Amino acid sequence: MLKRLLLIRGAEIVAFTLLATIPLVVSNSYVLGLLTLLAIYGILLIGLDVTVGYLGQVNLAHAAFLGLGAYGAGLSVSLLGFGMLSALAVSMLIGLVLGGLLAFPALRLEGPQFALATLSFMALSATVLNEWESLTFGAQGLTVSRPALFAHAVNAQGFYWLCLIFLALVWMAMRNLLSSQWGRAFEALRDSPIATDAMGIGTYRHKVIGFALGSALGSLAGGLYAFNFQYLQPLSFTYELMVILLLGVVLGGRKSLWGAFFGASLVALLPNLLSNRLLFEIISAVGLLAALFAGIRGLIKKTTRPFQAIAPIIALGMLVVGGILVKNTEDWRKGIFALMLFSVVVGLPEGLMGFAARFLTRLFRIDPPALPPAAALDTVLPAKVQDIGPLLQLEGLKRYFGGVKAVDGVSITVQAGQIHGLIGPNGSGKSTAVNVISGLYAPTTGKMMLHGKALPMGLFNVARAGVSRTFQNLQLFSELSAMDNVMVALKGVYRTPLPLVLLGLAKGEEKRAQADALALLELVGLRPHARISAKDLTYGDQRFLEIARALARKPELLILDEPAAGLALPDVNKLVEIIRRIHQRGITIILIEHHMDVVSELCDVVTVLDGGKVIAEGSAEEVKRDPKVIEAYLGTTNETAAMTVVK
Amino acid sequence: MNSIIIVQMAVSGAMMGLVYALIAYGFQLTFSTSKSINFGQGELVMLSAFFSLTLLNWGVPYWLMVPGGLLFGVILGLAVERAGVRLALEQKSEGWILLTIIIGLLGFSAAENIWGRDDRPFPTPISSDALHFFGISITPLEISVAVGVFAVMGLIELFKRKTLLGKAFEAVSADRDAAELMGISATRTVMLSYGLSGMVAAMAGILVSPITTVGPTMASALILKAFSVAVVAGLESGFGVVIVGIFLGALESLTSFYLGSGWREAPGLILLILALAVRPNGIFGKASIRKV
Repeated sequence: MLKRLLLIRGAEIVAFTLLATIPLVVSNSYVLGLLTLLAIYGILLIGLDVTVGYLGQVNLAHAAFLGLGAYGAGLSVSLLGFGMLSALAVSMLIGLVLGGLLAFPALRLEGPQFALATLSFMALSATVLNEWESLTFGAQGLTVSRPALFAHAVNAQGFYWLCLIFLALVWMAMRNLLSSQWGRAFEALRDSPIATDAMGIGTYRHKVIGFALGSALGSLAGGLYAFNFQYLQPLSFTYELMVILLLGVVLGGRKSLWGAFFGASLVALLPNLLSNRLLFEIISAVGLLAALFAGIRGLIKKTTRPFQAIAPIIALGMLVVGGILVKNTEDWRKGIFALMLFSVVVGLPEGLMGFAARFLTRLFRIDPPALPPAAALDTVLPAKVQDIGPLLQLEGLKRYFGGVKAVDGVSITVQAGQIHGLIGPNGSGKSTAVNVISGLYAPTTGKMMLHGKALPMGLFNVARAGVSRTFQNLQLFSELSAMDNVMVALKGVYRTPLPLVLLGLAKGEEKRAQADALALLELVGLRPHARISAKDLTYGDQRFLEIARALARKPELLILDEPAAGLALPDVNKLVEIIRRIHQRGITIILIEHHMDVVSELCDVVTVLDGGKVIAEGSAEEVKRDPKVIEAYLGTTNETAAMTVVK
Repeated sequence: MNSIIIVQMAVSGAMMGLVYALIAYGFQLTFSTSKSINFGQGELVMLSAFFSLTLLNWGVPYWLMVPGGLLFGVILGLAVERAGVRLALEQKSEGWILLTIIIGLLGFSAAENIWGRDDRPFPTPISSDALHFFGISITPLEISVAVGVFAVMGLIELFKRKTLLGKAFEAVSADRDAAELMGISATRTVMLSYGLSGMVAAMAGILVSPITTVGPTMASALILKAFSVAVVAGLESGFGVVIVGIFLGALESLTSFYLGSGWREAPGLILLILALAVRPNGIFGKASIRKV
């Protein structure tokens, strides 16, 4: 534990001390310029990593936020006479507000649509900066003078230290944020937006705030950029810069502050790399050798796909050969970026830092931080006093898809404290019914009441109202560990407001959340696997993890959507045991299941659906003997009925 | 008089709008089979136009150049699919967004160095002397754009409906997994869609070049508007792109008339962001049902 703290914090302190002392030793204005740029790009890339790394979206608007922040800071000095810090505050505010505004329409969007929205925003802001000549002087460019800091003029060296201080502050704040519930929620959002809402975490505010914060860092970097170069042109903030920034984040390594830092050094050094022919040759040759080595090793060990091994070799080979043939590498700048970025995206998707982190963790044998002891289950899921009476009432619930009547007038009353089975042949409307109850689909008509009050609309609100569910097709947050999957859904633990989280004051509740999550993992038998990421768990364990995560909502009503589907017999028995234990804590359960033995063993009442309608209700034994149920499952019960159907 | 000018602007704009619609149609082709689009499609338009110009300079007659240029577009489309899309689709990731952007950038850089950074005229046998209808002038060149756009889109739609390969294409678009189970190779169908999409891009390049001239940046504005058209109409909307394309072309022509030519990109970009906010599936697209 101590070793971990020493090594990781130590590395940070050493790096920042080194960076701060270089100008005292080397008094070279060129080096100073590079270092300043490094600090500015560091802030910029940490911001970009929030959307690209944590939210997992291709964000093409970051260069635009750099530009808008730069113009905002420059204009607030020249027009309003602001000082350094207030001008930087203005640029940050621009990113926060515009980023938030852009996130609202982009909110519902995924992947390509999100990329397109940000691409349009970039083009639009370039147009505005270019055309609003009365304010920005358009293509002529805007000259910015570096304002005073607390009435002191700032020289180049002082400005570098200021940038470095900002980088350190951003670094600490983002480390606190990303290791808190916020960071987990961002990643949850990336892995499964549906589950993020169904677990009451909320895609809405996390996406908006994540994007707004990232953009604010981008425009803060823009403010510093303006005071560094003291001359701005709209054309500096377009497509090409964007590609370079993406190169920085991807090559450095996503989801990593160090990755952003390495990426920033690369971006700052790129122009030199291209102008120095020998350096360029050496680096591209080293890259090719690395790709050859890793590619051939991967092919022999069969750990990489042939394309992933060969494509980077070809791309870097083109770089080496091109470097020899081409007269002027500057002319091929864009092509060189493209080849480098291509090799990294295909061959080293985790980036340099992801690779180095794995290597260093093994080298120094850094253990993950110790886990707190699990909390007592009684504090996490207090056993409820059984209240009697209806908990959930459905009346005439219908859901049509075009002409398909998936749920066609279902009325069910789920009594508090019971396990209510919902069965029916495939296509009978069970899953649609559950999706309507949990708010994924709006009902076509019909009433749904929880405790006699109307159930709210939408996944998120239903989850907040105390209904929690699992998914038939697993919707785990696959990159998060088992413990984080449960922690991210925990209800009622996270109370620290965002500014205090940034200051690192959420550590206490973090420990409490870990303890609670471990208790729930223990309930489903996953405690030993707390640190394993969800995608690496066995199929059965993934199903159990879904249950533990749903319990983290501390629900009144738990909906289990075919929890035994695909489980081996020992796991089915374990599942029955787990459901029983959950039931003992006073949680009402709706169980959708095909395994009749599981249903008969557990359920107090069973409702049978067929063709979207309720055809029988009663105890498991009763419905099993019901002729209509037998008919639904096995076809008609006697020959005359069959004859009438044929006629 | 003023209303004549407005109609004139709208008509000329609409003709350009058809080119946006054609490129947007190329996005639809790949989106329907693989839920992916080529973010570097503009570079395909530009590279095919340069290649066609080179063919003309070698003395290839215009009508032979057209199939040559289209073939080049097909090859580029296939290359993008192989290098940028297939791996990401196999991994079910969205890595293709970044990879197609990167490949586009490589193409851009290659064009800059092979053909130079200057804009060049693109000779065409079709006349650009204006014809007059009811006081509105329109050139045979503009008419040829419209004819070319409808010809290509019509032929591809016929291919999809009337041939076995085309039906396989529709099957994969409707349900990739089910099509695979029926023995249709989804990978090959995605390749086919990228080839066709590349051909459509080349056609757009050949049609638009005589009007805009050929240069490395010729498609950078074009492509943004094609994105707008595709998104506003809906990436699965079929001929909806034509209507939206004509509308957007007319709108931006009027914008540049009233606000100045620097603002002509703005309406497309604003429409795109608005469309994504209000109707992410487009005006003519159907809302998809989220399945879990």
